[in-house]
Amino acid sequence: MLSSSYRVLVQAGIVLILLGLWEAAVFSGLADTRTLPPPSEIAIHIVALLGDQDVLYNLWITSAQVGLAFLIVAPVGVAIGLLLGEHEYIGRAFRPFFYFLAGVPKSVFLPVFILTFGIGFTQKVAFGIFQAIFVLVISAIAAVGSVSPTLIKVARSYGANRWQLYSQIFLPAMMPVVIEGMRLGMIFNITGVVFAEMYVARAGIGHMIATWGMSFQMPQLFAGIFLTAFLSIAVNEVLRWYERRVDKWRK
Amino acid sequence: MGRDSCEAPFISPATLRWLFLAVIVVVWELVPRLGLVPSVMLAPASEAMIAGFQDFGTFARALGITFGQLASALIFAYGIGALAGLLLGSVYFLRETLLPIVSSIYAVPLVIVYPLLTAWVGIGPESKVIFGALYGFFPMALSVAAGVQTVDRQYILAARSMGARTSQILFQIMLPASVPSILSGLRIGGAMTAIGVVVAEMMAATGGIGFLITQNRTMFNTAEVYFGIFLVLILTGLLDMFIRLMERCFTNWYPKET
Amino acid sequence: MAEVTDSMAHAPISSEKFDLSVEQVSLHFETPNGVLKAVDEVSFGVETGRFVGLVGPSGCGKSSLLLMMAGLQKATFGDIIVEGEPLTGPRPQDVGVIFQESSLLPWKTASENVEFPLALRGVDKAERKQLATDMLKLVGLSGFEDRHPFELSGGMKQRVSIARGFCQDPRILLMDEPFAALDEQTRMTLGDELLRIWEGHRKTVVFVTHSLTEAVYLCDDVIVMSAQPGRILERIEIDLPRPRTYETMATADFGRLRDRIWRLIRGSE
Repeated sequence: MLSSSYRVLVQAGIVLILLGLWEAAVFSGLADTRTLPPPSEIAIHIVALLGDQDVLYNLWITSAQVGLAFLIVAPVGVAIGLLLGEHEYIGRAFRPFFYFLAGVPKSVFLPVFILTFGIGFTQKVAFGIFQAIFVLVISAIAAVGSVSPTLIKVARSYGANRWQLYSQIFLPAMMPVVIEGMRLGMIFNITGVVFAEMYVARAGIGHMIATWGMSFQMPQLFAGIFLTAFLSIAVNEVLRWYERRVDKWRK
Repeated sequence: MGRDSCEAPFISPATLRWLFLAVIVVVWELVPRLGLVPSVMLAPASEAMIAGFQDFGTFARALGITFGQLASALIFAYGIGALAGLLLGSVYFLRETLLPIVSSIYAVPLVIVYPLLTAWVGIGPESKVIFGALYGFFPMALSVAAGVQTVDRQYILAARSMGARTSQILFQIMLPASVPSILSGLRIGGAMTAIGVVVAEMMAATGGIGFLITQNRTMFNTAEVYFGIFLVLILTGLLDMFIRLMERCFTNWYPKET
Repeated sequence: MAEVTDSMAHAPISSEKFDLSVEQVSLHFETPNGVLKAVDEVSFGVETGRFVGLVGPSGCGKSSLLLMMAGLQKATFGDIIVEGEPLTGPRPQDVGVIFQESSLLPWKTASENVEFPLALRGVDKAERKQLATDMLKLVGLSGFEDRHPFELSGGMKQRVSIARGFCQDPRILLMDEPFAALDEQTRMTLGDELLRIWEGHRKTVVFVTHSLTEAVYLCDDVIVMSAQPGRILERIEIDLPRPRTYETMATADFGRLRDRIWRLIRGSE
């Protein structure tokens, strides 16, 4: 095993070398600055974007849509998954729907959301929820399966009622798997909201990226892509860190 | 309430499931017909089918274009993805440094690079193939890498004690042991490639089923939009079935899931 | 009764009379807390056709020692001499290993698993198929040739492993806690089966186990090891008459030997 500090150093080195090659390619005339701006120029534009009121407003809109969708979908998805995973009868009746729908490509349904909800805030939130809910439900069902039957037997022998069983045994024991599901759901949620913004919208960082692309504003386009990528990776890493923390007792 | 009451239900779970499905279809049919929901929002199922088959030529041509782009994209996604996954999973240095970076990039909503592709290569088929391949590349590479690095060390030790050479270990142990993850890479990667191609067509294109969906949406032809979505689901469903069939042929040594 | 051949455990060993001799072997690991002596200056020899057990608390290095004897792990110091020549890597004609059940290849059938060591050697398909069928019959698995491991019970899988080890046909067979994952009854039955097959083939065996009963029941000699550093405490000869049966276990001699080993291990902790 490489030590973690050494690994980060090597990773940073790899990224720097790639950026250096890119910079060199542009300056040696191998690539055209108009279609491929150098990293240094992109960095300047990222800083500029972060000082631009308009960009900050659009980032805020996107974050609000993503955040609201997550706040709604996380408890709802886990509750549905818990019910489907734990209740024998309801589970056997309705689990196949969710397994099937989890495998269906959901992006093609975007036009339906536009026809139903219009092109505003609500439609983005609804589409984010739609993208994320199935993976969340599936992982919550898997999480129920990961709860040791012995724990449940013990709790029942102590006389725990159904509510206590859910809150004291199932939910805490399910957490590690559920958090992983939430992280995957968050990825799908962000993808859904940004895609919806790029498709048809009046605001949001996805909308700005699409506009920069259509008007060939390459430095801004690159800066927007990198900014969005950084933010998504950051959200993912935070959830991953939390996942590891919650997962500690399992090993 | 005792648990035993669940054992002998009024109707079986399977019956309840089909009943529920039937109710959905009936509601879908009746709600727009009775005017409970504007017909722009929801077209009755029957109307979507009729609209689709009346204009079947257009849909068939679009489907052909999408299918061609999907096939080319799959070749790149599978080929480059498998190669990258093999290297990332088996070479120690890459596994420790590059693999975590690649799995982080998986969290990026890749749609944001599509405007870049259209700016570079235009809105023709090339951008669809590249975008589809990019979408499928990550799951394919990550599955193969996971498969290669989780080969049970006991198998390798046992084979070495029996005198296996490096090439025998590679082809008789590592490769067959990774087959399940390679197949799951083919399945997830295939589905993602299909989504990538259709999403690209929806955003900016001159043809294909995604383009047709968007075009009909802007004209508020709700029935045609639904029929287009239906075709995409059929296309991805067939792809999935094909890969599952392969899965069954290659992994007869696996306990089957019920 | 149990004669302690203490001199054998410590004195340098001349390799001529042994199939396998371990000479001053050490295995050290660098850890953040200093050097870990997993195996420390261990020497012993195994005569042809003898069944030798290796017991000790967990972490005493008995499994590492076995890997080194198979040529799968390099010793930090010392040599392992097989057939008069130091071991530098796996030598499948001389040394074979029977691992725990998990080492059966899940994508191969029982027969293909047993054939595998022969296939690696390039033995003709029909010939090795015949050998595997005979060997599976010997372990009582006729009719299961075409089953995959997931269709077999734990005990049956271990029978396949034993068949694979004997099919490889090395002079020396090393066994790394082969019955550890099995329940008590299956263990007992398989122990008897192993003895029966061994009586027929008389291979030299080194058997690692953490079950004292198993060690006394199966072995001619039991080498008792201590943990950290992994050293030999004593080599105890088990001179119980063969063939051994269930009744052997009820004898006073059996109990005394088992008790002796137990006291050694407990005293070392």
